[in-house]
Amino acid sequence: MTSKKAFFGLPSEVLYCKKCVISNQRPSSTVEFSHKKNEKKLTINFQSDGVCDACNYHETKEKEINWSQREEQLLEVLNKYRRNDGGYDVIVPGSGGKDSAYTSHVLKYKYGMNPLTVTWAPHKYTNIGWQNFESWLHKGGLDNILFTPNGLLHRYLTKQAFVNLLHPFQPFIVGQRIIGPMMAAKFGVKLVMYGENQAEYGNNPKENFKPTMDTKFFSVSDPKDMIIGGRSVGGIIEEGNFNLNDFTPYIPPTVDFLEDKGVEVHYLGFYHKWDPQECYYYASEHTGFKANTERTEGTYSKYSSIDDCIDMFHYYTTLIKFGIGRATYDAAQEIRNGKITREEGVLLVSKFDQEFPNKYFKEFLEYVSLSESEFHETIDKFRSPHLWTKVNGEWKLRNLVSNN
Amino acid sequence: MRNIRLIARLDIKGPNLIKGIHLEGLRIIGSPNEHALRYYNEGIDEIIYMDSVASLYGRNSLDDIVKSAAKDIFVPMTVGGGIRSLDDVSNTLRCGADKVAVNSEAVKNPELIRDIATRFGSQCMVLSVEAKNISPDHWEVYIDNGRERTHLDVIEWVQRAEDLGAGEILLTSIDQEGTRRGFDIPLVEAVTKIVSVPVIASGGMGSSSDLAKVVIEGKADAVAMADILHYERETVNNLRKYALSEGIEVRDI
Repeated sequence: MTSKKAFFGLPSEVLYCKKCVISNQRPSSTVEFSHKKNEKKLTINFQSDGVCDACNYHETKEKEINWSQREEQLLEVLNKYRRNDGGYDVIVPGSGGKDSAYTSHVLKYKYGMNPLTVTWAPHKYTNIGWQNFESWLHKGGLDNILFTPNGLLHRYLTKQAFVNLLHPFQPFIVGQRIIGPMMAAKFGVKLVMYGENQAEYGNNPKENFKPTMDTKFFSVSDPKDMIIGGRSVGGIIEEGNFNLNDFTPYIPPTVDFLEDKGVEVHYLGFYHKWDPQECYYYASEHTGFKANTERTEGTYSKYSSIDDCIDMFHYYTTLIKFGIGRATYDAAQEIRNGKITREEGVLLVSKFDQEFPNKYFKEFLEYVSLSESEFHETIDKFRSPHLWTKVNGEWKLRNLVSNN
Repeated sequence: MRNIRLIARLDIKGPNLIKGIHLEGLRIIGSPNEHALRYYNEGIDEIIYMDSVASLYGRNSLDDIVKSAAKDIFVPMTVGGGIRSLDDVSNTLRCGADKVAVNSEAVKNPELIRDIATRFGSQCMVLSVEAKNISPDHWEVYIDNGRERTHLDVIEWVQRAEDLGAGEILLTSIDQEGTRRGFDIPLVEAVTKIVSVPVIASGGMGSSSDLAKVVIEGKADAVAMADILHYERETVNNLRKYALSEGIEVRDI
């Protein structure tokens, strides 16, 4: 096989996991404040038997972890922070989707904590997303702070991230990671609890064996050095349209500040065996969560990540950059959790992974102020030659999971 | 008045009996035939097997399950999911089904309804409708187990299907399905008012009182139950006794 140039330092040979449908092109989470254009991406590790680390971790999760012991560990943490004086004792960041609904609701109603949920607003709420958000609070019985950043700046940053990194969700991810620790510090709460640990899906598996999130994900020393959308904050300020004060919500608290306040960030997924489908059942029963009215473009499911009109473009860009669309992420997770077989997963990927997100295309273009042709030009710039080839004027993936 | 039929609905994915909420998040419950046998022994009137992912995967994998069920179960069996042609129908009937239920393919090719009715008889042609409420008194037809919209209006669609020869309608409310919050009564009422063929109400049975409500208010001819039986929240016997106590005629056993 002739090796074609691989962008972003991706492995030049595409391999698919023998157990699920993920490929070795899947990048790990990065520290988004310093995410640069030409940085080499760390990708999911495959063992010599052709099985990905996410599947291997899943095996461990099934067999080796003593979940009742983990729950005791959780109780220890919660007991340490639990308050009965009318103050909040835990911050739960989330959108009111099934996972944050589950996390916040069990913390309050099973473990007797007093959570404050905080939401970094989606770019553009979908109707179903807004209904679920409201239902989370109205039916689920939880307090919430909805934080909506300056839309002019957020749209500008999203555009930069799309054009420079083909990663339009990056500014959102930055904000979403900061909001929890930030609100904790503001409300004098020492515990932040996220739901699922992203490491389960193929970040460094060592992170699965500690309950807390590395502070590198949400702290920085000088805000002007922060890189958002592939641009330095200092550089954006020099253009004269925004000043440092506009960036308030993106400036993460310093490590010293967090340490001084004693803020700890944990994942419930470390203590509870995490199963997205079971979160759906729980949320449906306890917070009135509803699945979408139709499946999401690019995949077959209709219950996960349905609150943001722009969400499909996150997965569409991962399809372009890594050859991994939304159906691949969904199917890989469902295979691991025993919901579908690999054979079914392969069929679903073939059927949905490359579907173009038409439904909210207009909204997306409007949001990032780009024309349709500018959109496609940008997209095509990020098609790595080792993944894509043009056949009869149409872009095709060279390697499909169905051919492996 | 004819007896109201109590029907167990078994949604199948691969080898497993599954259950979703709004037809989504398909949770594995266990062996389809163990459950079917239990319902049969408890006196269920009919059984529906639905391969809920047949259209999604473009396959139909109920043959073995239906064949083995037919050995032990002697009440009418309706089989649906992935029926795309007359050959699929004869194959399914040969496996032991008494009726077939068709949704996705009937929407794509309505003539299939006529063809099935002509060749095998209307009594065998069950139109399966997945209905989603879009505004008060309006419902849209969905296909692919509640995943894809069709822009068809449920009321217009069932009338057309009846004209084409559908002999029965299995009417599933996507909004209520799996929620245990009761049937979509206005939906059932709207459909039973407009068609003369029997209507099976499906989706949302939370307790026995929902049964009475959908029969008395919705005028359903039959009631499909899944969650309430699979999770053993009720037995068929109790439901039968309850129905009789409410003055609802059911098969006397």
